[in-house]
Amino acid sequence: MAMNAVARDTVFALRRQIAKIEGTLSERLDAPAGSGPDADRMLVRRSGVAESHGLLVTGADHFDAALNGGLPKAALTELHGAETRDAGTVAGFALALACLLLKKTETPAPILWVGTTEIFREAGFPYARGLEAGFGIAPESLLYAEAPKTTDALWIAEEGAGLTALSAVVLELRGNPERLDLTATRRLHRRAQMAGRPVFLLRQAALAEPTAAPVRLVVAPAPATPRNTMAGPLDGTIGRPGIAVTIGKSRAAQPGQFTLEWNPDERTFLDRRHAGAIHQRPWDIQKRAKDHVAVVPLSSSGTDPAAASRPVLAFPSPRPSPAGDQPSRPQRPAHRRA
Amino acid sequence: MINHRDRNAQRIAALDERAEALRLKPGMGIADARAMHPSIDIVEADPLADLRLLDSLADWCDRYTPLVALDGIDGLFLDITGCTHLFGGEHAMLDEILARFFHQGFDVRAGIASTAGAAWAAARFRDRCIVELGEEEALLAPLPLAALRLEPEIRSSLESVGLRTVGAVLAAPRAPLVRRFGVALLLRIDQALGRQDEAVSPRLPVAPLSVERHLAEPVILIDDIERLVFLLATALKTDLERRGEGARAVALLLFRVDGVVSRLVVGTSRSMREPRLILRLFQEKLTAIAEDFDAGYGFDLVRLAILATAPFDMHQADLADATEDGEEDLALFADRIRARLGEASVLKPVNVESHLPERAVAVIPYWQDAPQRISPPKKPAGPRGLPSAVPFQPERPIRLFQVPEPVEVPASEIPDGPPLQFRWRRALHRVAKVEGPERIAAEWWRQEEPTRDYFRIEDTDGRRYWLYRQGFYDASKPPPRWFMHGVFA
Repeated sequence: MAMNAVARDTVFALRRQIAKIEGTLSERLDAPAGSGPDADRMLVRRSGVAESHGLLVTGADHFDAALNGGLPKAALTELHGAETRDAGTVAGFALALACLLLKKTETPAPILWVGTTEIFREAGFPYARGLEAGFGIAPESLLYAEAPKTTDALWIAEEGAGLTALSAVVLELRGNPERLDLTATRRLHRRAQMAGRPVFLLRQAALAEPTAAPVRLVVAPAPATPRNTMAGPLDGTIGRPGIAVTIGKSRAAQPGQFTLEWNPDERTFLDRRHAGAIHQRPWDIQKRAKDHVAVVPLSSSGTDPAAASRPVLAFPSPRPSPAGDQPSRPQRPAHRRA
Repeated sequence: MINHRDRNAQRIAALDERAEALRLKPGMGIADARAMHPSIDIVEADPLADLRLLDSLADWCDRYTPLVALDGIDGLFLDITGCTHLFGGEHAMLDEILARFFHQGFDVRAGIASTAGAAWAAARFRDRCIVELGEEEALLAPLPLAALRLEPEIRSSLESVGLRTVGAVLAAPRAPLVRRFGVALLLRIDQALGRQDEAVSPRLPVAPLSVERHLAEPVILIDDIERLVFLLATALKTDLERRGEGARAVALLLFRVDGVVSRLVVGTSRSMREPRLILRLFQEKLTAIAEDFDAGYGFDLVRLAILATAPFDMHQADLADATEDGEEDLALFADRIRARLGEASVLKPVNVESHLPERAVAVIPYWQDAPQRISPPKKPAGPRGLPSAVPFQPERPIRLFQVPEPVEVPASEIPDGPPLQFRWRRALHRVAKVEGPERIAAEWWRQEEPTRDYFRIEDTDGRRYWLYRQGFYDASKPPPRWFMHGVFA
């Protein structure tokens, strides 16, 4: 006991001496072993950010369910548009997702939008006024990077994806460039995982090819709902934009096609097919899917190649909105019916 | 031999030693020279190329002093005040400069004096001459009047009264000289003698800070250059710390052994002094120019100059030593892209007060501050940083075409109404729904731009477009044209 006390005294004296040398209080030195695991835990937490960051819930229940809860937040997500003229819808969908992300944070970090000169010329340059009005993304939280070549755009996106100072990176490319292969997408995906930030890869007019992205969505435009007034929906007006999203690839492996609706005021998504009660006619879509023959004969002057080729097809197309389809009756503008 | 056209006659502008040996002179007619020696080789003068060459020589002379000024079309002023000791004194410096020029293949005459005027005269009339302070008069006195850098008219009128040397003019009383020949003459005399200051305006602004390293063995590898950049940046860091500043623009000057000077400039979005970061920017720059980077026989002088500085805002690290440096990361990211891909590679939008949609947003480089006049008054931010109480936000597309694209509209039901269908990029689009028109006219001071009527249009596939009709229907005018200006989500 006495020996113990003496020993402890010596230890205390030594500890005090070390504390003096180190310039801290001796109490701080008390558990030198404890700081190790603590730092470890910090480290685990840091790299674990990627996993624990979880999912980006869009709010459209059935869509989320099909994706097993939502889009992965710290990952590369591919958004495909069939044609370059769909670029508005594809970009709109990506920005809506980015907007959902920004809504959750108190201090919005900027979104970096990387594109090649070609795509910005072909599909239009992002317009900050529209983004502010439709998605609440302030001009201060927008950064554009315009690169002359695909290689440069990929490099910028890769550098940006590793930054935690950005809230999302949008990389927009056209077609199937050779440089955007499995390796390049894998690098993007890894960076996104490390930083815990999403990277949206917008691919306009591109064919699906194997990439490292866990989720691939094919985005197409869908008719907007009419504006809602006190007296009910107003025919012929363009209200909330519709976005038809097809799951091309996901971890949950549930294929599905969803028509989402973006509410620019609330800044939320709606699942139109199921939340159809909101001034929406479910029968409208069903009918369009069923009869794909032109309701009104084509005008004699204009020949639409898409419509002309339709009878040749052996099987009716399952797409709800075939390219050459005529608008169903309630969608036609009021002034034409008059 | 080089000829030039002077008053409609081809004359000799310059000639080499062999032509001089043939007793040809500058100013002689080309026709006469040809008659004398039919075999001479004549080249057309190219003053711009001469100037470029002089410029590159001035670049090269940067290694001796940052204050290099061009003098006419064939001279350089080097302000070597305080630089001579670096090269072992005035004599050694003069010898070195002349030797190096000689090895590059130039015939150079040089002189050193305490005043620009005396140095000019010494270089042109007394080669390899160093004029000590106070000896200017002795130097100038026997020289012809051309040594005073006078206008030809003044010189000829002086000569017409018999004053043929500088000494004669110096001996003459000053007041009558001014009355007869103007102030310029005495100004030149005073400047040459050091009675009046003469400003030699350097070609490039002098960098506030610069460090350089002379290398005994020239370096060729990019890795070595990067290592040197790091060393030099480390040396600059202490100076920047003492001044409480950081760098906003840094230039790297590489002096090649054969006299070619490469100048790489990187800009930074925020003031920076960390050598590691400066090195990273130069790494990007060197990567970008890797293809046409020609080290030749190597670089024997590497200089790192800070062209612009700004106050450095210090951050105190918190106790856990984890500072929030997101902004800094972003700035560095933008700088690296800028260093590699050019000035306008990272952009940010700024709202501008304008009716015209394409003018309502200005896209400026990331590191620029928005000019005060184009930034609209700040709206008070509501919760979550979203602007609160926005009375009316017009619907605007999310993508705008940089140049509105012409659209063919075959028919619209009523003249001023929306189209029923339109052809854009050779595809026919049938209009399903229309909203509009929204009439947007340019500001009153832009009278020449016609009024536009914008329509939001949804086609049968559900794509939403922003079309406008430029101008109005009028029987006397050609029908207005339609344009596609943007797409909605």
